[in-house]
Amino acid sequence: MDFEFIRVERDPPVAVVTLNRPKVLNALSPALVEEFTTALGELDQDDSIRAVVLTGGPKVFAAGADIGDMAERTPIEQLQRDQTGRWLKVTSFTKPLIAAVNGYALGGGCEMALMCDLIIAGDSARFGQPEINLGIIAGAGGTQRWTRTAGKYVSMEVNLTGQPITAWRAYQLGLVNKVVPAEVTIEVAKQVARQIASRAPIATRLAKESINQALETPLREGLAVERKNFYFLFATEDQKEGMKAFLEKRPAEFKGR
Amino acid sequence: MSVVETSLENGVLWIRLNRPESMNAVNGELRGALATAVRDAERNADARVVVLTGAGRAFCAGADVREFAGREGAVDAIRGEYERILTGLRNVPKPVIAALNGVAAGIGASIAMACDMRYATPEASLVEAFVKIGLTPDGGATWFLPRLIGTAKAFEIMYTGDPLPAADAERLGLYNKVVPPESLEETVRDLAQALARGPSMALAAAKRSVNFSANATFEEALDFEFMLQGVQMQGQDFREGVAAFLEKRKPEFRGE
Repeated sequence: MDFEFIRVERDPPVAVVTLNRPKVLNALSPALVEEFTTALGELDQDDSIRAVVLTGGPKVFAAGADIGDMAERTPIEQLQRDQTGRWLKVTSFTKPLIAAVNGYALGGGCEMALMCDLIIAGDSARFGQPEINLGIIAGAGGTQRWTRTAGKYVSMEVNLTGQPITAWRAYQLGLVNKVVPAEVTIEVAKQVARQIASRAPIATRLAKESINQALETPLREGLAVERKNFYFLFATEDQKEGMKAFLEKRPAEFKGR
Repeated sequence: MSVVETSLENGVLWIRLNRPESMNAVNGELRGALATAVRDAERNADARVVVLTGAGRAFCAGADVREFAGREGAVDAIRGEYERILTGLRNVPKPVIAALNGVAAGIGASIAMACDMRYATPEASLVEAFVKIGLTPDGGATWFLPRLIGTAKAFEIMYTGDPLPAADAERLGLYNKVVPPESLEETVRDLAQALARGPSMALAAAKRSVNFSANATFEEALDFEFMLQGVQMQGQDFREGVAAFLEKRKPEFRGE
């Protein structure tokens, strides 16, 4: 499918999705979000793709939503459009999704980064939830994911003051996996994606599912999910290949079966 | 005449504090003008190197004490401007050289220390006299001094308020070099113009790496350096540098 507001480049086993509204700092219009979730649906079905990088390009990740579009909206209109609810599709994406963030990731843009599984940040990256400055609050996970990732106090600071934090602070808080020179953010994210893509795809998928379960359930239930996924993987060809290759001291060739 | 004079000369942007009658003490007007000059230094692509100096017999005697009286209400605004000046000098991806024509005191010392290098005349002592009016240093002095000269000397200067003579500052590595007053501008001009002809992307990257290292572990810094070098190896300046080396000639860098 052709997209207007994003660009999708497939370089199997990795795909790169680039937000492509540079004139408005990649503001997240409903149409862009629709295209993004559609693209993810397609990439989920594409067996040649095993990991996806999401980026806004070299200068800016995404500076929030279209405010002009929202200013006169009523609650009923908001409910009917359910713009933030559309984001839920992102969380059902089964493959690793790696954010490559340069410059501002603000509001919905920050929430979009936090929906990803790993975050590689350029030294120019800034993360924030400035919604409070407009008399509203984050609506696509900003109050929830900051709290689960960085803890209540940081989440309060970011959501109540509206002040963005630097790449380095985000790294220290565990919100970012790595801080790199902004020129190479996307390349480093692709390297990480390729590394992940070289592992057994079903194991990767179940690892992601198990980790996400940790944010949803008490420990006992999470451990049960992990255990079942662990046992299940012994039904895969990749498990046999992986262990055989290990014993034979050669690299494994995983097939996703 | 403006309280901050700027001029661009062969790729070098000179920023001159220009309130000589008050030893270039920082009042609201000078602070605002300096913040603007630092911002413009970043935006101006023709400015490949920045030099900061003062007119008259002082580099900068610190905050204008006459301003202190009415300061309470404006503290946040003042702080914001100082932050823009100091973080601007540290983060602008270009070499920034302080030419200390005379004393650098208080916020003036901090401005000097926010520069990448310092060249000075024998009269250009560095002073942290805050203790004499019952204050602690500001402008990042407590961050700069221990890094530049170690904690023992830093405490000596901050606790006593005694001026650190230029010769001592040079010996401690706080100043790069002390030169006679009549040759300060020439020394700095020669250096600045040489840097302006240098591989500006590589110089900027060295500055980014040094700034990055302030937060990083050795392994993180090693990784960051390596990645920046990877970027430069794609660049025109690197190809030119290697070619010139092999051909035993002077490289002509274009900052690409």
